[in-house]
Amino acid sequence: MNWLKNIINIWFYEIKNALFDEGAVVFFIVVPLLYPLLYAYLYGNENVREVPTVVVDNCNTLTSREFLRRADATADIKIVGHCADMEEAKEMIHQREAYCLIYIPEEFDSDIIAMRQATVELYSDMSGLLYYKAVLGGCTEVSLDMNKEIKAMRLPGATEEQLSTFQYPIEYQYVPMFNTQSGFATFLIPAVLMMIIQQTMVLGVGMIAGDEREKHRKGLVDPHLIGKRPHEILIGKSMVYFAIYAVVAVYLVCIVPPMFHLVHIWDWRALLAFMVPFILSCVFFSIAVSALAHDRESFIIMFVFLSIPLLFASGISWPASNIPHFWKAFSWLFPSTFGINGFVRITEMGARLPDVMPELAALWIQTFAYLCLSFLVYKRTYREQISA
Amino acid sequence: MSSISTILDIAKREQKRLLARPVYIFSMVIAPVIAFIFFTTLMRDGLPCELPAGIVDDDNTSVTREVIRNLDAMQQTHVVAHYGSVAEARKAMQEGRIYAFYYIPKGTTQLALSSKQPTVSFYTAPSYIVPASLEYRDMKMMSEYASGAITRATLYAKGYTDAQAMAVLQPIRCEMHAVNNPRLNYSVYLSNTILPGIIMLLIMQVTIYAIYVEIKEETSKEWMSMAGNDVVKALTGKLLPHLAIWLLMGALCLVWLYGLWHFPLNSGIWPMVLNMFLLIIASFAFAVFFCGCVPSLRWALSLATLWGVLSFPISGFSFPQMAFPDPLRALSYFFPLRHYFLIYVDQALNGLPLIYSWQDIAIQTAFLILPLFVLGRLRKFLMEYHYTH
Repeated sequence: MNWLKNIINIWFYEIKNALFDEGAVVFFIVVPLLYPLLYAYLYGNENVREVPTVVVDNCNTLTSREFLRRADATADIKIVGHCADMEEAKEMIHQREAYCLIYIPEEFDSDIIAMRQATVELYSDMSGLLYYKAVLGGCTEVSLDMNKEIKAMRLPGATEEQLSTFQYPIEYQYVPMFNTQSGFATFLIPAVLMMIIQQTMVLGVGMIAGDEREKHRKGLVDPHLIGKRPHEILIGKSMVYFAIYAVVAVYLVCIVPPMFHLVHIWDWRALLAFMVPFILSCVFFSIAVSALAHDRESFIIMFVFLSIPLLFASGISWPASNIPHFWKAFSWLFPSTFGINGFVRITEMGARLPDVMPELAALWIQTFAYLCLSFLVYKRTYREQISA
Repeated sequence: MSSISTILDIAKREQKRLLARPVYIFSMVIAPVIAFIFFTTLMRDGLPCELPAGIVDDDNTSVTREVIRNLDAMQQTHVVAHYGSVAEARKAMQEGRIYAFYYIPKGTTQLALSSKQPTVSFYTAPSYIVPASLEYRDMKMMSEYASGAITRATLYAKGYTDAQAMAVLQPIRCEMHAVNNPRLNYSVYLSNTILPGIIMLLIMQVTIYAIYVEIKEETSKEWMSMAGNDVVKALTGKLLPHLAIWLLMGALCLVWLYGLWHFPLNSGIWPMVLNMFLLIIASFAFAVFFCGCVPSLRWALSLATLWGVLSFPISGFSFPQMAFPDPLRALSYFFPLRHYFLIYVDQALNGLPLIYSWQDIAIQTAFLILPLFVLGRLRKFLMEYHYTH
């Protein structure tokens, strides 16, 4: 039972080490605690509403003013100015006083009266896709409503139902599932949470490993490691990181999303069965890559910038079906890729465990592969250190 | 004259240090190049196409099959599977096989032909917001088209012309003009700010590392004494080789985006050269400022990391700044990447005269004042502090 004693011994020593190391504690505790709050606060509005819009109404009749009044009343659009011509309107957009432009041509009303198709032209500043979506969505909504009324006027005596059947022989309805308001926070935060787990763990573990290596170069070895075998050190240390992140994950997964009213319809057993291999694969991945940590700090520089490409490689934003094979294979090296997809589908889309089987299997494979790699890393590191 | 030669001596010393450590070569050359290649090749299509979609066709007539064929032929949508029921399709969605599916209930064709107005539906999973909204667009267009086709047939039979039929169907039509990015190229949206953002993040980190590693390795006194204990000379000399490398990387980034990938560049290249230059300089200013705030390599580095990573969402290139809560809108002014993004929009994207960007140029330049607040402290740190484990 000596090995068990050794492991427990290492566990207690290392957890103190991890929680009292001022650098590691930033990554293990402070960042996971604060970053999600900041992100959720930032994206709290979920969507852009009331996008400042200028109008050029060359028609200026009852109908055109009615169109604009209704556009202004939508949640998407807020009319901030009426301009005499396009030049003036463009100038307002260039001054960032408005992001979109609604242009109603002179013949708008006469077209309607003459039963020709009337056109409303929309322009959007292309610095953000959401402006485009807002002005197009808002004006389309208004035009559909007004079209219905215009047709009612043209077919006096027709019932609402007859009109509707004439307009839409086949009616259609759109059902956004799970993330029902297509919100930005709901889409991005779950992915960010998983990325935070992986990246902070890599940085914290790398910092501790870099520190040990620096001390070793100066001839210092932590006395409690002497006489321990590499696999005992590996089990002891990995269980420390697992324990810390079990707590962090409960906070990130169970407390943060409800706090910001994000969709969370999960089955807790599926979530538990998924999060355990995710955290384990992150633990062994962190230990394996900590072999690259030559000193405490340089490791941070090498790993932080990767967070952004990894978020994109996961397929949460740019769809996985359109990621080139090379980058897809690259993304499979990281637990975050599978963690993000499985987590989003379980917590937001109500997936059960069998639905995320490929991701789950990948995480267990990663856990095993990185466990083997970690063992080799520790064997090399500590044989050197302890025999020294 | 002697102060110039002092600075050059320190620069030579730094040059040797840069070459001696893999971390510099990695983070100043390899990492940015990987990021350039990654983002531009990842989104090389501009707009994702052939996204997997499912079909639940309970009606299964020649009309519905035609609708499905047309849907499959649309650019963004690729029909990968037919499912027996909505529940099955929903499961496929939960398994991540499809982003959306189209449901045609039994009897749709017959009801439509007898003017009973049947309803078809389409479902998307906006948790994957980009593919879901693109398939939504295709499916909505398809639905409008299918419906319109039947009405048009009726109208043509009554002798209406094409234009007349459209006027009856849709008296008012909205026509969208996406100025300067008509294809809604996502790479233009994202890469234009992400790539310079990665340069900014790495500059902050590497600069702080290069300054404070001197304390850690107890060479800071030697460095300062070379500069005659003048912190300005010491920093100038040290950061000169860094500046040279980052200017090259910045130039590479611009060549990459506008030369190789031909992203919109309506201003000509010079305003963007200025923009990149200001971003690089401002990043140095922040790095030195962070060093002066906290006398510890790991704390200054952590601070720069948090600031650098937060730059990406807060600069507002994906989720617009106008939708942030007020305190964060105010905070966004303190991020160089925010101003870079705004100058880019005015210049490369919209091709406005440079005067329109004067405020952002002024703020970006004003960041150069930041180090002045901390030079005294920094001098003291470099002369007196010791690294602690």
